[in-house]
Amino acid sequence: MLIDSFGRLVVEVIVIFILIVFFDYIFGWLERKSIAKAQFRHGPTYVGKFGILQNLADIVKLLAKENIIPKNADKLVFSTAPLLLLALFIFLIYLLPFSNSLGIAISVGLLAIFVLLSFAPLLIFLTGAASGNKFSLISAQRSVIMSLAYEVPLILSVAAVALYAGSFNIANIVNSQAKIPFIALMPIGFIVFFIAMLAELERPPFDLREADSELIAGWLVDVGAPYYAVALFVDYTRMFLGSLLISLLFLGGWLGPYLPSLIWLLIKAFVVAVVVVIIRATTVRMRLDRLMRFGWFWLLPLAVLNIILTFMLFVK
Amino acid sequence: MLTRINVGPIHPSTHGVLRLVVTLDGDTIVDVEPHVGFLHRGVEKLAENRMYMQSESYMEKIDYAAPMAYSDLYVAAVEEAMGIHPKERAKYVRLILLEFQRIASHLLWLGTFCNDLGQMFTMFMWTMKDRDLVLNLLQDVTGSRMFYVNMRLGGVSIDLPPNFEEHANKLLDYLEKRFKDYEAFLEKNPVFIERTKGVGVLKREDAIALGVTGPVLRASGVNFDVRRDYAYYAYEKLHFIPQVQTRGDSFARYKVRMQEMKESIKLIRDALKLMPEGDALGMPIKLISPPVKESEVIVRRELPRGEGMIFMVTDKQRPYRLAIRAPAFINLSALRYIAKGARYADLFSILGSLDLVMADVDR
Repeated sequence: MLIDSFGRLVVEVIVIFILIVFFDYIFGWLERKSIAKAQFRHGPTYVGKFGILQNLADIVKLLAKENIIPKNADKLVFSTAPLLLLALFIFLIYLLPFSNSLGIAISVGLLAIFVLLSFAPLLIFLTGAASGNKFSLISAQRSVIMSLAYEVPLILSVAAVALYAGSFNIANIVNSQAKIPFIALMPIGFIVFFIAMLAELERPPFDLREADSELIAGWLVDVGAPYYAVALFVDYTRMFLGSLLISLLFLGGWLGPYLPSLIWLLIKAFVVAVVVVIIRATTVRMRLDRLMRFGWFWLLPLAVLNIILTFMLFVK
Repeated sequence: MLTRINVGPIHPSTHGVLRLVVTLDGDTIVDVEPHVGFLHRGVEKLAENRMYMQSESYMEKIDYAAPMAYSDLYVAAVEEAMGIHPKERAKYVRLILLEFQRIASHLLWLGTFCNDLGQMFTMFMWTMKDRDLVLNLLQDVTGSRMFYVNMRLGGVSIDLPPNFEEHANKLLDYLEKRFKDYEAFLEKNPVFIERTKGVGVLKREDAIALGVTGPVLRASGVNFDVRRDYAYYAYEKLHFIPQVQTRGDSFARYKVRMQEMKESIKLIRDALKLMPEGDALGMPIKLISPPVKESEVIVRRELPRGEGMIFMVTDKQRPYRLAIRAPAFINLSALRYIAKGARYADLFSILGSLDLVMADVDR
């Protein structure tokens, strides 16, 4: 019995890790291709069919290079924080259920995820501040200030979901969307959650931490090539986490007709990811003070309104 | 606590080799100190060592985003010195080519401006695609895509090809449609409006005192355009309204350039209709002792970036001294005044809205 459940755990861990790598890889390719499509370019074409192996070639190239740690950097923090960030996001994905049979559905899953997720800006702050570069430092400051702007609305919009489902267990939340997904029940909450997730995922128009045009690469300015590969992996894993959360909490998760539940979840996650990429292609970057105003004057009241409406209409 | 940041000379958003030493108080800019001269090539001195018509191609390299405008400026200065007037058809041909060059330059600006605002490369690729069509048209005329060297004394080196009018009209219709798309794409985007309106305000008095010209001046509410106020070529005969905005912020500068492209389309259409038949070819001049009439000349032309001037002291074989008033250099001087008090994130959108070409600034 014990060996049985341990064996099952090992299998699940391996399957989910394969899923993470699969999504990261396909999303990395898909993003490059779809951004190229939006910009009248071809994107990667040379390595592999349709350039499918381009990212692999890039990662091999990045990992083969020397890792440079700047002289001014705090060596311990600078060399561990990006790895910790990657570990954090992979761990967070392990806390999500992928279907009724795959993945861990712990009873306080939702709480655990959002508590741990708020460590991400801290780790980004540490990387930026430890690199000893002024651009990174500005980016690190922005990271902390940004988290003030969107964390509260994010938690509040999630609270409405938990309120309706009556549970912090994500599997229960998904199963309570069997009749109608939450996006139809609480559209305001979905919009708030989606926007706050965009900020959490560092995606335009909220990519203030990485702002190419002013901060060059933000907290990644001084990061050497192998760590930059890690940072890319962090970016795509974070994207996987974000699109999984959006599809689990609002789009009905793995529920859907005909196809196996895991396929449904992946389809929904990819659709969300492509929408995020389209937003990236079309909008200009927001400014920090505007983001604060937006967070506190628009997102927060909307999130509160959403909670009140959910309570009045569905819970009582 | 004040932070000093060194931006550039190698930085993604400085449009070349511009170095800015920025003093920040938190996120607010206290002072910006531009350091220029990394791209100085001594064009003015080079011109002193070359015979009159040998310098034209050097002049084009001053501004690689709008080369034809500069070659026209230089040739106009030589024409003035020799007492040669351009032929009647050549006046129209030059106007058409220069307005197409203006459209190409403004399109490049629009793309890079959106890059500075953080919309990485979508708008840039779109405008570059349209600019490419304009360059194809100019290539049909001159045989070259970037440095045309098509202006000659009294006319042009190569006249417009026979099917030019048809091609040009087709392109103008297409561009008109595209400009509408661009306006809808940008002006309906609340984040774009937020990032440009009320940012980097240059007041009317300051604009005049700093000597800025071109779209930057007109965005601050000064109704001045060399094409109308000191009309040259066929601008005298064509109806033409300089585009003026009053707010003086980044959005006004964007709007002025957008409207100017539309105005250029109208100008080209009118010029194509009114253009007389005949000869537009310029004369090759004697290299040895050309007929120099004036000892000092000064000409002014409306370049895409502002008012360009050449002051030339002539000699028998070659210019004795040549001084160029580069519009981008003087527009850059406004940066220090308008960036004060802005947010650090806005520094590059303000810089971008001034439309700098560092080769033009440093000469």
